[in-house]
Amino acid sequence: MSDDRGDSRAWDWDSPQCRAQLDEIFFRPHDYIQAGSPEHKEFWAFFERFQRFKAKRDMFGSRAANKRDPHESKKKRSDSQAVDLGLPKEYDARYRINVSVCTRDVEERLGVSEHRQRSTSSGPGKQEVADCRLALLHFLDFTQKQSFGKLAKLKREQKSLPIFQYRERIVELVRTHSVVVVAGDTGCGKSTQVPQYLLSAGFSHIACTQPRRIACISLAKRVSFESLNQYGSKVGYQIRFESSRTPVTKLLFLTEGLLLRQIQQDPSLSQYQVVIVDEVHERHLHCDFLLGVLRSLLAMRPDLRLILMSATINIKLFSSYFGHAPVLQVPGRLFPIQVIYQPIPPEEQSSRSEKLDPRPYLRVLQGIDQRYPPEERGDLLLFLSGVAEISTIMEACQTYATHTRRWIVLPLHSTLSLAQQDKVFDIAPPGVRKCIISTNIAETSVTIDGVRFVVDSGKVKEMSFDPKAKMQRLQEFWISRASSEQRKGRAGRTGPGVCYRLYAESDYEAFAPYPVPEIHRVALDSLVLQMKSMDLGDPRSFPFIDPPPASSIQTAMTYLREQGALDARGELTTIGRLLAQLPVDVVIGKMLVLGSLFNLVEPVLTVAAALSVQSPFLRSAQHNPDCSTARQPLHSNQGDPFTLLNTFNSWVQVKGERGSGSRKWCRRRGLEEQRLYEMVNMRRQFKELLRSHGLVETEESSVSVQDRSQRRERLSERQRLHQLKREHDLQENSRRKVLRLEEDPENAGSSGSDEEGGTGRGKKRKEDTGSNLDIQEVKFKLRHNVNELQEAAAAGQDLSSWQQALLKLVLCRGLYPQLALPDEHNATRKDSEQVFHTRNKQGVVIHPTSVFASDPEVLHVPEHESSEFGADKGQSNRHQLLAFVTLLETNKPYLSNCVRVPALQALLLVANSVDSNADCTRLVVDGWLELSVSDAEAALRVLSSALTLRTEWERLLQAQLSQGGPGSTAGLGLAGPKPSRRDLEKLAEGLVRFLLYTEVSYSLRRLTALQSQNLYIGPQQDSGLPDSQNLNPLFPGMKTEPDPIKGGLRVSSYFTYNCLSDSKDLYSECLRTFWTCPHCDLHMPLTPLERMQHEATCRPAGEQQPEQDAESGKAESSSSSSSLTRLYHCDVCNKDLTLTSTEILKHKRQHLQ
Amino acid sequence: MGTAVEGTVRGMFTCEVCDLSSPFTYYGQKPPNTRAIVLLEECFVMKDPFSPDKERFLILGSKCSLCNKDVCVGTDCSLFYTKRFCLPCVRQHLDQFPQQVQSELAKKKPVQKTS
Repeated sequence: MSDDRGDSRAWDWDSPQCRAQLDEIFFRPHDYIQAGSPEHKEFWAFFERFQRFKAKRDMFGSRAANKRDPHESKKKRSDSQAVDLGLPKEYDARYRINVSVCTRDVEERLGVSEHRQRSTSSGPGKQEVADCRLALLHFLDFTQKQSFGKLAKLKREQKSLPIFQYRERIVELVRTHSVVVVAGDTGCGKSTQVPQYLLSAGFSHIACTQPRRIACISLAKRVSFESLNQYGSKVGYQIRFESSRTPVTKLLFLTEGLLLRQIQQDPSLSQYQVVIVDEVHERHLHCDFLLGVLRSLLAMRPDLRLILMSATINIKLFSSYFGHAPVLQVPGRLFPIQVIYQPIPPEEQSSRSEKLDPRPYLRVLQGIDQRYPPEERGDLLLFLSGVAEISTIMEACQTYATHTRRWIVLPLHSTLSLAQQDKVFDIAPPGVRKCIISTNIAETSVTIDGVRFVVDSGKVKEMSFDPKAKMQRLQEFWISRASSEQRKGRAGRTGPGVCYRLYAESDYEAFAPYPVPEIHRVALDSLVLQMKSMDLGDPRSFPFIDPPPASSIQTAMTYLREQGALDARGELTTIGRLLAQLPVDVVIGKMLVLGSLFNLVEPVLTVAAALSVQSPFLRSAQHNPDCSTARQPLHSNQGDPFTLLNTFNSWVQVKGERGSGSRKWCRRRGLEEQRLYEMVNMRRQFKELLRSHGLVETEESSVSVQDRSQRRERLSERQRLHQLKREHDLQENSRRKVLRLEEDPENAGSSGSDEEGGTGRGKKRKEDTGSNLDIQEVKFKLRHNVNELQEAAAAGQDLSSWQQALLKLVLCRGLYPQLALPDEHNATRKDSEQVFHTRNKQGVVIHPTSVFASDPEVLHVPEHESSEFGADKGQSNRHQLLAFVTLLETNKPYLSNCVRVPALQALLLVANSVDSNADCTRLVVDGWLELSVSDAEAALRVLSSALTLRTEWERLLQAQLSQGGPGSTAGLGLAGPKPSRRDLEKLAEGLVRFLLYTEVSYSLRRLTALQSQNLYIGPQQDSGLPDSQNLNPLFPGMKTEPDPIKGGLRVSSYFTYNCLSDSKDLYSECLRTFWTCPHCDLHMPLTPLERMQHEATCRPAGEQQPEQDAESGKAESSSSSSSLTRLYHCDVCNKDLTLTSTEILKHKRQHLQ
Repeated sequence: MGTAVEGTVRGMFTCEVCDLSSPFTYYGQKPPNTRAIVLLEECFVMKDPFSPDKERFLILGSKCSLCNKDVCVGTDCSLFYTKRFCLPCVRQHLDQFPQQVQSELAKKKPVQKTS
């Protein structure tokens, strides 16, 4: 067509100027496609292809076509029927396009020359415009076809899903029943389709819960794509730190935990019309609880629609729990899978202590290589129970793979770095198979396509809770038949597959039908706390779908009581109510609350966040000397929380200085940066929670300091970041990479210290080949103000020794009663054989990742300081305890995340139960730790200051907690005065002094079981009599009374005096010595107890507070409401007087004189 | 992310050949915001769901110029040759179409409804 090429010699299609001239015509600023847009770029690329195609066709094709045309069309025309379609005689591809572009007006204005003179006019001629228009038409047609193709494919796929034919039935059931159970196996499409069916049937405000966060995001993405709303927010997700929800969101994917939190805020859940609970068969703790809550909610909300979605496992249970709700069962879509039982022969079975024998696994690999030609694709997925097992088998498989060059071996478990985990999705080169060695993470959480072979060891490691030892336990079990089937199913997702079971069919028959629900396995502390705060009554009578053992709930109640979250009657305390709002473990929540009292918010926030996420320290990097060296400056021998604090603070500094350069910094230190991002998010959430409860002040300062230009800068920066994030989101479905066979074994392995070390080996990696954008960095910058964080980090970076001591105390009180005592013989043992004891479990060890595993000496009592002989044996003032976050038994019971604290001081300040003998030289804490102080005078002094400090600490804490905030006691009109800064500073100083400068020698040991049994003298015969010497009338304010169980005198909620069975109570009167109070002018003979009590209530003259204030100050936490004054009957004047303890003392003194 | 600007749904378009159905937001020859672009037939149009650009349109289908059935633009259902024809109509009048179209069609098996 454009055959007079000679004319356009001056016209150069490749010249940007020439193209720009055509842009003036076709791609103006308001046109459908605008110059400079991505489509515009695509057009010109298309144009070049189109021109080439045309040129080719002109040379070869057109001749033949032209020749045949006239003849044949004429012949056919004669046979034709009556209707003349009036089609053009000559074929032109142009006639196939249903779009036209009108640019006449522009052309005329620009004066496109009809006959362009070669030299004078450089503008496009008619021909060029026509060429360009034609190309544009074809381009538009092409893009239409492309998009329509996608649409058609999508619709086709939707229709081919097994669930599609049940679409109307599902909608009908939901319309007519308040609860419906949809049961379908893998691949039936329930998770993506059911929400869409409901949406298109006109339901809105739909919540769909998922057990995993990652599923919320991926489902929201998939469903919004499928419902043609990829770029809108009709379909959104909400997880802990991320939400894409907007006011127009009609369908929301969220985690089970988050929906529970929403019910906590809005008990009728009025924001939703439909709630879908997906994967109910997985029986997660939150899911079971959620079902119970929703069941009772349905009575309140008859209009609410509830849909349970499950695999075809135990469907009856769910249906009958909801009054025999209708069940719709959908077949799955799996290809046939051949099951081969290959039980491990006895000689290859390993005993518990031995390493796994790899031979049975290698045989499967060999078998596959022999039986299936390498051209037949299909990867292998191998299920093992744990990380140690994975590395054993990996090693063997890797050797085999290196030899055969037909396998790429990849590990998969949750402690791998995310980049490592991601590799299992990459593609093996032709002729090579992936061998993915995984924990049960690949059973449900991670779905890998292209798996044809599954090897199932039949084992799983599951977490259980041992309430007796107060310990989590990770034990290996046989899997259930349901899990076994699930694992098998992984082989048949993309084609027919084979499943090798390394156990006998009879073993399979003997498996339990279903896995044990989580609620039967784990500690229920947080659950019970949440139930309490939701006013669900007695947790023991809550109608769970499958109630946990009552003892489990009882253990949790006891624990919560120990932690001070529940009172004696099992009701929430002030602090308990607050803890229930915090989505963290009780101990971590306590730290946050305690830290907010002192000027320690920033470091405590960091530590609490760090302890709530997986450790950022990659296990694999531990044996890499480069990493260890680089990590060294981050380590703190105070304890792991301090190491985490240092790490986070240093990272924030690097982030502030180098932005995404932090990635390299992390790599060099073997840190998973993702965890640090999680920490920074969590930290912020904690801060907001504390703020909303009035526990930290709102920071206006840093915002107002910024001037306008800074704000503008930040705004434009944010816009840029948003743009980057959008772009990233768009190209996220980028193609998978092809793995390399040549990768060094350790590069692919779990021991991989790959990518780091600056050898440049890592250069081939994803981040370099793919886009260089660090999306985490972008999200980070969008969410956080780096400068603010830097300030906060700086505040936490150089903690003075005082602050450090205070922080330790806060952590210790938070973690209490999770304390461990170093064994007395540790100093003589090897580093690797250090032993510790907790109250409930003897002989625990420190996890190798802990700082104390590599540096145990800091826990030893220096030899020269402890006396070796005689009565003084073991006396020192340097005894320490470990406060720990977790006690987990795997092959051994391990303590993780430990911090060391001075024993006596910490115990006296945080323990729930301190018992003493008559002169307070022997103290027993919580019935298992015995402290013997040789110097009675010193013992008394220490105990007395501890009592005073605790009283004040409690008073200020209660005052702080009663400060406003939603759900606090403020609403009840109980808000007291805010604790004064001066009081807080004074308390902090007192506590730190006590911790750091208490000079008292004592020995420390754990009591034997027998000793613990016969610890107390028990209630005394004469204890009820008013003239008993034990019933000391000097301490009315403290409500001193005989302890009905232990005997002795209960001085405070945590201190019982003279109740130990070796007490010298007979001589207690002899212990009276003359003493002068430094504050008032009291001088009289007092027993140790009397003296302590006086000290506790007597303040220096300058500090005398208004009576009322003093009263509340002296009140113990347990009796905070009781007034300090009490009725006192003076025998001398024979009068009833209402006096405080000090007043009573003074009164008595009158009579003495 | 932002507010979703989706045109108001005017109805459901359903292809009478393959049953594909999707809501449409415009019917006619001049979808909104297309400037110089004009459609050569009356089309059922929606916002292109696969483009982040709110103004990209996607033609779903139109009416067959012979039998007046709604038919999608998929090549298994219809073709455009100066006008829209559903494939059943094309087959009926195959001889009136140029050779290129005829041979193209010959390669295709008759469509059956996907259910």
